[in-house]
Amino acid sequence: MSRALPQEKSSRQIAMVFDLNKCIGCQTCAVACKMLWTRDDDRQDGTDYMWWCSVNTMPGRGYPKDWEQMGGGYRDGALQQGVLPTRADFGGGWDFNYEEVYYGGKGTSAHLEPVGEESSWGPNWDEDQGAGEWPNSYFFYLPRLCNHCTHPACVEACPSGAMFKREEDGLVLRDEERCQGNQACAEACPYKKIFFNYQRQISQQCIMCFPRLEQGVAPACARQCPGRLVFVGYLDDTEGPIHKLVHEWQVALPLHPEYGTGPNVFYVPPLAPARLNEDGSPDEEHPRIPLDYLEGLFGPNVGTALDTLKTEMAKTRAGKKSKLMDILTVYHWNDLFGPFTRDPATLKLTPVGKR
Amino acid sequence: MATKTTRRTRQRTIAGAARVTSSYRNKWTWDNVAWATHCVDCYPGSCMYHIYLKDGKVAFEEVAGSAPADIKGVPDKNPMGCQKGAAWSRTLYGQERVLHPLRRVGERGEGNWEQVSWDEALEDIAEHILDAIQEAGPETIVHEMTPAEGGTMAVWPTQRLLVNLLGGVATDVNAVINDFQPGHYITWGKFNPASGAGSEPWTKLRLIWHCNPVYTQIPNYHAIAEGRYQGCEVVHIAPDAGPSSIHADYFFSVRPGTDAALALGMCRTIIEERLFSERFVKEQTDLPLLVRLDTKRFLRESDIEAGGSDEQFYAWDTAKRGIAKAPKTTLRWGRVKPALDARRRQVRLADGTRVAVVPAFSLLRERLNRDYTPQRASEVCGVNAEVIRSLARKVASKRTSIFMGMNVCKYYHGDLMQRAMLLLLGLTSNWGRLGSGIGSWSPGSGLEGQGIFSQKERPGLAETRRVLAMRAQLQQMTEAQSATSDTPEIAAIDAIVRATRAGMTGMVPPAFFWYHHCGYRERWNNPEWGDPTMRRSFDEYLQEASDSGWWEGVVKPAPDKPPRVLFEVGGNMLRRQRGGRTHLLQHLWPKLKLIVSVDWRMSTTGRFSDYVLPASQHYEKPNFHLASAALLQLKYSDNAAEPQGESLSEWDIFRLLAQKIEARAKERGLVEYTDSAGRAHRLDNLYYAMTLGIEDVNKLVDEWVRDTAEAGMMAKGESLKTMRKKGHADFTRVGENVYTLNQATDAEPGKPYTSLQWHTEKRVPYPTLTRRAQFYIDHPWFLEAGEELPVHKENPKMGGDYPLVLTSGHNRWSIHSMNITNRMLLQTHRGRPHLVMSPIDASDRHIADGEEVRVHNDVGSFFVPVKLSPSVMPGQVICYNGWDPYQFREWRGPMDVEPGMVKWLHMAGGYGHLRYWPIQWQPTPVDRAVRVDVAKIETTTSTRPALAAGQREGSRVFL
Repeated sequence: MSRALPQEKSSRQIAMVFDLNKCIGCQTCAVACKMLWTRDDDRQDGTDYMWWCSVNTMPGRGYPKDWEQMGGGYRDGALQQGVLPTRADFGGGWDFNYEEVYYGGKGTSAHLEPVGEESSWGPNWDEDQGAGEWPNSYFFYLPRLCNHCTHPACVEACPSGAMFKREEDGLVLRDEERCQGNQACAEACPYKKIFFNYQRQISQQCIMCFPRLEQGVAPACARQCPGRLVFVGYLDDTEGPIHKLVHEWQVALPLHPEYGTGPNVFYVPPLAPARLNEDGSPDEEHPRIPLDYLEGLFGPNVGTALDTLKTEMAKTRAGKKSKLMDILTVYHWNDLFGPFTRDPATLKLTPVGKR
Repeated sequence: MATKTTRRTRQRTIAGAARVTSSYRNKWTWDNVAWATHCVDCYPGSCMYHIYLKDGKVAFEEVAGSAPADIKGVPDKNPMGCQKGAAWSRTLYGQERVLHPLRRVGERGEGNWEQVSWDEALEDIAEHILDAIQEAGPETIVHEMTPAEGGTMAVWPTQRLLVNLLGGVATDVNAVINDFQPGHYITWGKFNPASGAGSEPWTKLRLIWHCNPVYTQIPNYHAIAEGRYQGCEVVHIAPDAGPSSIHADYFFSVRPGTDAALALGMCRTIIEERLFSERFVKEQTDLPLLVRLDTKRFLRESDIEAGGSDEQFYAWDTAKRGIAKAPKTTLRWGRVKPALDARRRQVRLADGTRVAVVPAFSLLRERLNRDYTPQRASEVCGVNAEVIRSLARKVASKRTSIFMGMNVCKYYHGDLMQRAMLLLLGLTSNWGRLGSGIGSWSPGSGLEGQGIFSQKERPGLAETRRVLAMRAQLQQMTEAQSATSDTPEIAAIDAIVRATRAGMTGMVPPAFFWYHHCGYRERWNNPEWGDPTMRRSFDEYLQEASDSGWWEGVVKPAPDKPPRVLFEVGGNMLRRQRGGRTHLLQHLWPKLKLIVSVDWRMSTTGRFSDYVLPASQHYEKPNFHLASAALLQLKYSDNAAEPQGESLSEWDIFRLLAQKIEARAKERGLVEYTDSAGRAHRLDNLYYAMTLGIEDVNKLVDEWVRDTAEAGMMAKGESLKTMRKKGHADFTRVGENVYTLNQATDAEPGKPYTSLQWHTEKRVPYPTLTRRAQFYIDHPWFLEAGEELPVHKENPKMGGDYPLVLTSGHNRWSIHSMNITNRMLLQTHRGRPHLVMSPIDASDRHIADGEEVRVHNDVGSFFVPVKLSPSVMPGQVICYNGWDPYQFREWRGPMDVEPGMVKWLHMAGGYGHLRYWPIQWQPTPVDRAVRVDVAKIETTTSTRPALAAGQREGSRVFL
């Protein structure tokens, strides 16, 4: 397996768009990621509690708990340290008393539950809670992974030179041999998507499935997404859906752009059903999800993006064509994945030592 | 376009890239890849996966993404999968897996086990089976039938041995899982016209109504979202502004159980504003048929002619100004112009008297005008009256589909809600057309080779050809025997009804089993929990039903034959049974001399069994997803991994059990016996009868596939080998079994699927009494109940007079309960059961998020932590289904507050289509909108709540 040697700077950038109007919070992306990279059945590699890709209900405290209040990124061009999330802020990683319940001879006095400390947070603790008041309550799902930022605060903050932005595709990766585990990266990351491996004393985060990308296969989160909502590709591919959604239609926006890291994961912001007036009639004037909440998440352009979506959707309701709706519909599954359309089952990737 | 990077980042780019460890690349490797699917009753499911194996074990699985893009303009279905599928191998290797045959030590439910050999276990089980046969008859052997955890490979061998060969009884799966849609059945004479695959882009208004597809349709949900982008308006109707409302254009909140009022309010608007399709109503429905105003019964030929038929009906012909016979062989009226108007016309009866008659349509209109003006409907259901009107106008003007799941049928009056929804669709010609219709499900079109195998006497293709020739002959005889007016569908239903009554199908409606043997009689007779409009006690209705012979031949085990041996094969009765774990342990368990649970995981029922026998899992045995007519492919799951521990396929388990039974019977000198239906069963050749000499499960599956091809349902040459290579086989046509005939459509690969087209396009009659979609049911019980037409009735106070309604529904994290203990999936929520509650109701009770509470009513109680969500309607609480009882404190869950009521009216029979055949018309238990209250647990130092009623401290009985 050979790869081109790194050059002076990243020449291209791999990006993703998540269409939140198709996301149903099913966690398949999160599970698909975990199955490949942080599944730690025998608790040997310290990744068991980590969910590099996670899906949360918004508004919510998220994963890690209250990550939006933890700071990081840049202010006026200067790197901000931010708060280091603790193991408890991530939660999860529970073990259960299967043996006791099945074979312990305790009748019905023991039930299946997490063992050890009382569980009080996890990767998806506040699922489907949301905000507002019935019948005008609201929520939506937000899948999150490393944003593989253009100005990665983690790389800037890393004192040991372990982190880098890969030249050929802009992925933000870590040289795990060089990582000294001081977690400056996790403090600096405003998205709090960097995890500490307590066993190996190093940090880890989403690798954008680079071994798959190298084989022309889309990342697991995208390829396994049953909602067909995760676009992958090069941001500079002007014919591709990502460029069109981000730059032409401007309906795909970065999350918390105010941190100045230049995320390369973009989101089509969520529409919601019409609010209901006191008498139960629909209120078409005021949005169910408050606009200021969405602006706080996706920046000042979110209102325009939502208007564009509504305008284009009205066209198809009227029986007319809309190029934007066609892009978001995704007629062919592989249209989501740019150049990464290879079926992994066609590959022969034999483990080292068996080749 | 080069992205800008800072100087420091740029340096790192150079320095680090070369150093990325190769460990990640090494992690994503495998030795070989095989096809897989998860052979569970996840409808319509059929997601194709690839499993990636390393060192003989499944390292991970991934969606195959192999669905063909076969309909132009329709987004392809790929990738088809979900989080359960993505983590399936974690269940395969999870701690819930059972790896060795286990025999109970000590009391049932105690949780002490000894590991025994297969030989020892099967010998003991064989002895118990023979005891039951000799002492009480084979109908005391009960298979609690569910397709749940094992798929095709689980259900078939169980049925073959226990039911077909030994004469045991299988409880009808559709009552066990209560996914029977009674309103569809009452209207169409069949519950199962399946909703359309690939027809989504033609739908212009989608009402997500009694369904939560965001949870339950994960692989297919994209079609809703994509349809919306392509121009479909999406409206969600539910009490709670829950997950499936978030991607709708409109959400309207309906008070739980009042959906019939909402639908009827819309129907009223449609009729009064003359927005209905007169052609469709006259041609497809019974609404033009004349009803006598004196008896409220249809005018029949027997009324006007001595010796006339009871099943010939009439309309008023406005052309000839007289009555005209409703055609029975076609829906076309020919030259007759049937009246719909309200004019009372006089008809002379056989005895010379004259009676006034009106079309059923007139009675409907009168009822709607009286009780269901949008204003009155709004007062009942809580949806704004103007919304009811505007939604009605949309339904009338747009191609409309009701996206309905298996929720409404679990309401006490779910039949009325469905009848009202179908009326809404019928008035607006919204079924049998591309993009229209309403949800249901259907088996059938499946692996015909299994059915053929059951009729074969020896293996091989020559024998297959003999069976097929015999079938063709039988078919000809049936056709010759049947009345000339019968459609193939009606003839097929008649045939299966006869076979069922003769004990040939083995399935029985379990309501009678529950009533006679499981302690439900008292509950169903409790007037407080039943419908207040019942004029008589449940017992009286049941007595009349049985005196009338409506359920002849299917009340098994007979009231005087208590069940002796219970088999669960991938089922989990103590979780699923409406009415409770506690109740069954009190009433059924003591009667059972042996309880056997065949499963790959430890369920609550397994934990309370005498034997738990380890089945191999998907990926460990050749298996198929349950095929549906709506998906014209048979999906294969390969046995690419070695079975864990001592686990065996269900084929091997039941094959070996047959061998043991034969051997032990020989020792007892038991050669032959007769069951209560008069069928003789031989035991001296049981093993050959079971296997036809085939032992290897691979050979068995190969035989099934080859025979299916031989029957003309797949291309010639399909075999296990081709399945292994391609992962699937296309059906070249759907089978002609009764369930595919019920679809009434010419399903073809590459064509969007629309059921009921033979009725709407070819004008083929419906299999109902009137041969039309029937909205007026003049069965005496329906008239007595005031349910001759669709009406709204309040949900009974099941469980007692308590302020909250427990609505619940299918969860997101598990297909039934089989993934509910998957450790990886447990991390995707709070890892334990929870009760979703409105912050308003919680604050009234001083309850905080995460706090454990006691949910209680007159039936029982359970403990559960609360999860607050403002999307829940105040007054509503939700405990999503699927938790294994052992995940709750004291193993009590929602099933312990559900009384498990059935609606008495569903015991009605002796009326055209109101008759039992497998998975169709029968009473099924309901569990939605049970009344409860939620109490804060006052604790001081201990978090352990006081023992609930029925729990005996220190007792060895674990109720």
